[in-house]
Amino acid sequence: MLSCNDICLDYVEATRVTHALKGVSLDFSPNKLHGIMGPSGSGKSSLLYILCGLKSPTAGNVALDGTSITNMSDAACARLRSQKFGFVFQQPFLLNYLTALENILVGINPDQLSASVQKAESLLSYLGLDGMGDKYPSMLSGGERQRVAVARALIGNPDIVFADEPTAALDKDNGYKVMSALADWAVDHTVIVVTHDADMLKGADVIHHLIGGCLVDDQPSNVR
Amino acid sequence: MRHPLSPFTYLTRNPSKVLPMGFVIVLCVFLIAAVASIANSIDLTVRTIYRYTEFFTYVIPQRSTQSVPMDQRAILEMQPEIDRIIEGGVFFVNIKTVVGRLPFVVIGSTPEERDYLLKRIRATLVEGRMPEEGKPEVVVSQPILENRNLKLGDVIAGPLDDGGIAGSPVPVKVVGVLKSDIWVAMSSRTFTDKTFLLTPKCLLFTTKVPSDLDVVNERLMPVGRKGDGFLSPEKVNVLTRANLLAEVRDSLSSMYMIMEVVSATVIFVIALMSGMLSNIYFTQRIPEFGVLAALGISRARLMMKIVWETVILTVIAWAIGSVLSVFLLTYLAANVFKQRGLFLDAMDPWAYQHTLPIPVAITIFAMVTVWVRLKRLDAVSVIERR
Repeated sequence: MLSCNDICLDYVEATRVTHALKGVSLDFSPNKLHGIMGPSGSGKSSLLYILCGLKSPTAGNVALDGTSITNMSDAACARLRSQKFGFVFQQPFLLNYLTALENILVGINPDQLSASVQKAESLLSYLGLDGMGDKYPSMLSGGERQRVAVARALIGNPDIVFADEPTAALDKDNGYKVMSALADWAVDHTVIVVTHDADMLKGADVIHHLIGGCLVDDQPSNVR
Repeated sequence: MRHPLSPFTYLTRNPSKVLPMGFVIVLCVFLIAAVASIANSIDLTVRTIYRYTEFFTYVIPQRSTQSVPMDQRAILEMQPEIDRIIEGGVFFVNIKTVVGRLPFVVIGSTPEERDYLLKRIRATLVEGRMPEEGKPEVVVSQPILENRNLKLGDVIAGPLDDGGIAGSPVPVKVVGVLKSDIWVAMSSRTFTDKTFLLTPKCLLFTTKVPSDLDVVNERLMPVGRKGDGFLSPEKVNVLTRANLLAEVRDSLSSMYMIMEVVSATVIFVIALMSGMLSNIYFTQRIPEFGVLAALGISRARLMMKIVWETVILTVIAWAIGSVLSVFLLTYLAANVFKQRGLFLDAMDPWAYQHTLPIPVAITIFAMVTVWVRLKRLDAVSVIERR
């Protein structure tokens, strides 16, 4: 289980200090879709990046299954992200010189490549992208690109998927498709989604609200 | 299936980013190889034109005498390795070289001595005939005819010749052509004796075993220590291969040093330029590396990806540059330099050794600059740049 305890994050700019997160403590129980909601500047993306080890908090601790990841070395943190975490960003960030299939496989270890190709094709099919594996990102629509990014996040069978505003750049239909895929994954994995769009979190098991860097309350979803 | 992060995947799918840098390396390799080959070609030219010194040695009287003094000749006769000593009259014809026209010696000998010397250098008559006794005629090897752009029957030396000690008071015709890579020109002893009255007579000696020639030469008049040999430098001078090369290399040492400085400067500038190009390309690829780092690809693996991309690119570009240099220098050697009396080895290993620092310097420079930037790479700032 992923948990964070008393997370603080300060940004110092010249003599001015901005408190982006003010003592956030949360437990992310497994096999659930967790939503983190809040207005712009509430610190939700920062919290997500601290949870996945991409950012270091000013104070506080993040632990995965009881082991702290906050003070891990860069290399150990990278290994953790590669083996246990999956990521979906607001933009798909696909490499434009790789095909959709290759983009999905980009984080796979070379020795597991052949075994993963079939899985990547299954993921494409599952995400409604049949026959698109050999297409380059420039040949795909925005929604298709984001679904390729979802497949890239899921290919390594991660324990936890982090999604930062995964539907922000999509229309409603494509947004629901992406969220539906993430909700399916959350049946037997943990998914943490940051968004400001309440509609997209209708299927969430738990929603955490952040306002001004503080956790307001936890609300269980009434949809799932 | 090749791994998406394989360096070959990037290199083959991004020609617009890869080719300019590859092109710069190719040009740099050609530039260095050409400069080094041309510099080394002067040495090669001397070795080619005066290759006869591998087969026999001239002993020339100093200016005060018209022939080699008897005591010096006696010293030669005492050397057990010497096979034969021939006294010859000489005159000179002009040959074209990169440093202008130079005199090339024509040996005046008896028919028997001539046949002996030609047999020594394995030269055979392929066109015309041997010079007749007392007549202004010469037999020359093919490279001399090509150098002078002459044919059988043409005048090779005459009173109208320009240039130093070369020339003849009467027109001297080419009556025979020898098949041989070794530059040699021969006339009759009777012709040289009656025509070149003031030209000193020289001695020419061969050894029983050709490879002994250098040993005997060194014993008679060591290179750089003329006074330590058996022969007296006040009375005679010895024209040997080692002597010639030492003099050429000594006189060209400053030029070689300049060339080394030019090569080092070019390599440094190219490495600097390539490092800057790597930086520009890296800047363009920051989103790619930021995302890969966020996905869990370690900085070490990203660094290795860049190193391999650079190594593969520089090695391929170096190989293409080398092959291109061989072709272009072969063409230039045959069509431009040879006519000007410059012999250029298009596959001179020494020249290509000078190009090896190019891929090494570029790789090291690119590695250092990219590593510095990679260490400072903040994946979150890349992802949040919307």
